[in-house]
Amino acid sequence: MTELYAIVLFLFVLFFLLGTGVWVGLALMGVAWVGLELFTTRPVGDAMITTIWASSSSWTLTALPLFIWMGEILFRTRLSEDMFRGLSPWLAKLPGGLVHTNIVGCTVFAAVSGSSAATLTTVGKMSIPELRSRNYPEKMIIGTLAGAATLGLMIPPSLALIVYGVTVNESITKLFFAGVMPGLILALMFMGYVAFVSLTSKDWNPTVEDPMTFVEKLQNSRFLLPVFALITVVIGSMYLGYATATEAAAIGVVGALVLALFQGSLNWFSFRESLMGAMRTSAMIALILAGAAFLKLSMGFTGLPRALADGISALELSRFQLLMALLVFYIVLGMFLDGISSVVLTMAVVEPMVRAAGIDLIWFGIFVVIVVEMAQITPPIGFNLFVLQGMTDHEMGYITRAALPMFAIMVLMVFVLIWFPEIATWLPDNLRQGPV
Amino acid sequence: AEKWDMPMAYSATNFHSENGVTFAECVTSGTGGEIEITVHPGGSLFAGADIKRAIQTGQVPIGERLLSGHQNENAIFGFESVPFLAPSFEASGKLWEAAKPKIEATLEEQDLHLLYNVPWPPQGLYFKKEVNSVEDMKGVKFRSYNNTTARFAELTGMAPVTIEAAEVSQAFATGVAESMISSGATGYDQKVWESLTHFYKVDAWLPRNFVMVNAEVWSEVSDANKEIINTCATEAEERGLKASMDYTEFTYDGLREGGMKVEDAGEELMSGLREIGETMTAEWLEAAGDEGKAIVDDFKAMN
Amino acid sequence: MRMIRKLLDAIYLGAGVLAAVCLVAILIIIVVQMVARWTGTVFPGAASYAGYAMAGASFLAFANALNRGAHIRVSILLNALSAGPKRLLEIWCFGLAAAIACYFTYYAYWFVFWSWKFKEVSQDQDATLLWMPQSVMVVGGAILSIALIDNLVSVIFKGNHRITRDLVDQSFGE
Ligand code: NA
Ligand code: NA
Repeated sequence: MTELYAIVLFLFVLFFLLGTGVWVGLALMGVAWVGLELFTTRPVGDAMITTIWASSSSWTLTALPLFIWMGEILFRTRLSEDMFRGLSPWLAKLPGGLVHTNIVGCTVFAAVSGSSAATLTTVGKMSIPELRSRNYPEKMIIGTLAGAATLGLMIPPSLALIVYGVTVNESITKLFFAGVMPGLILALMFMGYVAFVSLTSKDWNPTVEDPMTFVEKLQNSRFLLPVFALITVVIGSMYLGYATATEAAAIGVVGALVLALFQGSLNWFSFRESLMGAMRTSAMIALILAGAAFLKLSMGFTGLPRALADGISALELSRFQLLMALLVFYIVLGMFLDGISSVVLTMAVVEPMVRAAGIDLIWFGIFVVIVVEMAQITPPIGFNLFVLQGMTDHEMGYITRAALPMFAIMVLMVFVLIWFPEIATWLPDNLRQGPV
Repeated sequence: AEKWDMPMAYSATNFHSENGVTFAECVTSGTGGEIEITVHPGGSLFAGADIKRAIQTGQVPIGERLLSGHQNENAIFGFESVPFLAPSFEASGKLWEAAKPKIEATLEEQDLHLLYNVPWPPQGLYFKKEVNSVEDMKGVKFRSYNNTTARFAELTGMAPVTIEAAEVSQAFATGVAESMISSGATGYDQKVWESLTHFYKVDAWLPRNFVMVNAEVWSEVSDANKEIINTCATEAEERGLKASMDYTEFTYDGLREGGMKVEDAGEELMSGLREIGETMTAEWLEAAGDEGKAIVDDFKAMN
Repeated sequence: MRMIRKLLDAIYLGAGVLAAVCLVAILIIIVVQMVARWTGTVFPGAASYAGYAMAGASFLAFANALNRGAHIRVSILLNALSAGPKRLLEIWCFGLAAAIACYFTYYAYWFVFWSWKFKEVSQDQDATLLWMPQSVMVVGGAILSIALIDNLVSVIFKGNHRITRDLVDQSFGE
């Protein structure tokens, strides 16, 4: 009964604060404060600062502003145009045309970024102006970007998979490999959807690109060289053991600066603007993360997430029923919490439940990542929605509707993953066993 | 009825956490629900590094923390992680007996009341190759995570690399690091056999997790309940020690099954390491002053 | 009056520039740490220093980000209202936000005070006295509180807040 009361109260305060226009990060702090004041006798202010300091001064977080900065630098160079000039000849002929550059761009960038928000900012800053200037439907531009950017969480490296792996004591290497194929399949499903809409929609009248010969296409591909060189350096540094994920982000910034210098697009003005822009965007995300950290603490004290998970485990479901229940549970939780927090908060109860049901924990990691990806694009608290709102000035409602088809595709992806578990387990199972 | 939230840093399936849950149940049922302890494992309430301060300042009434993590604050807290000073469960137990009055007093000064503590399995050395002497370790990229491990790398001639806990597996997989000092449990949990080949049971030291209560909260507990909690704590300490010993063997078997060579260190390697241990004991004594010296003297007198 | 205005704007900008410097510091620390490792030397405590710079880059930037419209809010209701009620709602938003920011700053101050009093040190290899990096919470929180109150006063007496969208941000909106 207390739990029900708590749920209703949390939801009411959250909706009220967000709905009346209080800034998201501060609204989360407000909700957390109410929860703690009502449900514990502990000193709320001290706990708030302890948590916020710990989460705001974390080393792993530093990858976020760096990847944002990298995006800001690339945005101010000719690289964005170049990437489109390089990709467009190959993608223009596909049904759906250049909207695919959104998805392909996110897929490629996901291989250097561990976070969805960073993928979204970097690719979005490159692709939104380009696609708009070519007259593609705004909703498709926004929707595909919101959806495809979540691949940053699935395709390695992935912060979400690291958190999950550490929480349930599973091999992070295996989890990383497990994410590769589902990530690519999900990208293909997004592309299939774009193709389908482009063939059936009446509003699809983009500017037609001039046809090119194969040789011209190849010549145009030279524009991709800088981008792929950068990505190769960033990924290569990680996979060859020169850098960890955070350090790879620093390499990315240095690489982007070097490329901008070669292009002649780096001057004091563009450097300063890129830096100040990155500072503001990362502050925006940092404020929300600070609020989310405090809310997580408050939820932990009230025991609400665990009570919900306990409720599910009391129902004694079959394996499929359990997965469906967890799917619904995480979708609901993901509406209000960021995905990583909801994983950390609930895994203590969910993990034994899942192990008892005989579900492979590596496979379940990919299942969890998909639901975490969904959480990125579900209102009222969805990171990609917030970031896109900041980037495009569209209302949350508009962005949510634009992203809804991508949400549906991710739900479909969950079923694909349940029917063909091998797409997640084959690669890690067939890894070279033992020492390298 | 009072509700005590108890943050613990390690995952729910870790033996420390399971032991903590049993302790919590013991207290809750023993006091007839007058004190109800809820365990929050896996750092789900506060992260490990924040737990001590959270208890001290009353943000939570009770919690568990690896005390040697606070050596920068007071060198005395590092008594159990001086390399090769007490290299077995038995010796570590004696060392704790010697240190107990000092540690308890130091904690009381900080508004912390100690309930029980449980050692981790002994720390061994992980490598990507066979190692028979300290000479063999030269130049190996070694994961250091605090001053003790950094100094250890320096003295053995290894190249220390700093890698955050979350990135350890990846670092070994990609060769950023090639060696670490840790318990068999850590290696087993992280499945390091995917990248590493040799584990040497050098039993360098046995770190300990301490379960502590805020002193003010403790002073308000009724005498009857104090007795119940103390009984539960004693049981938890015994149970935890046994679990730690059992788990040590279990993880060695697990590492073997994963394809690693799990061996005692050869005499040449051991004597080299003991020499380094003596240097580091001397250095620790310098930092920990008279109190540290008293602990070591008492400990040596027991043997 | 004009002096105060100039001073406040200088504070917001100055804090923003400091935050940007922290961002550059993150980059430098991580690069130096990486190069140190490649060359077989150590940069003890690099991760902690990067973490402190991260905190600086966040807290010091909050006010600047607010005034340039970077912080996110759900503005469906605000946009739907006419001038009068909208003004009241803005007063509620800025008032509550200012209260939360002040609350945060107050407790951050005491948190840092006790860190200083107890001489709390970092538990990592840097062994930094923690009150030093933690002070950015108090400074950043205070500047954010001032900026929110500044806007609140503006809404009450002039009818509108002072948040202007960044030119670059606007270009994304076109
Ligand atoms: Na990724
Ligand atoms: Na969501």
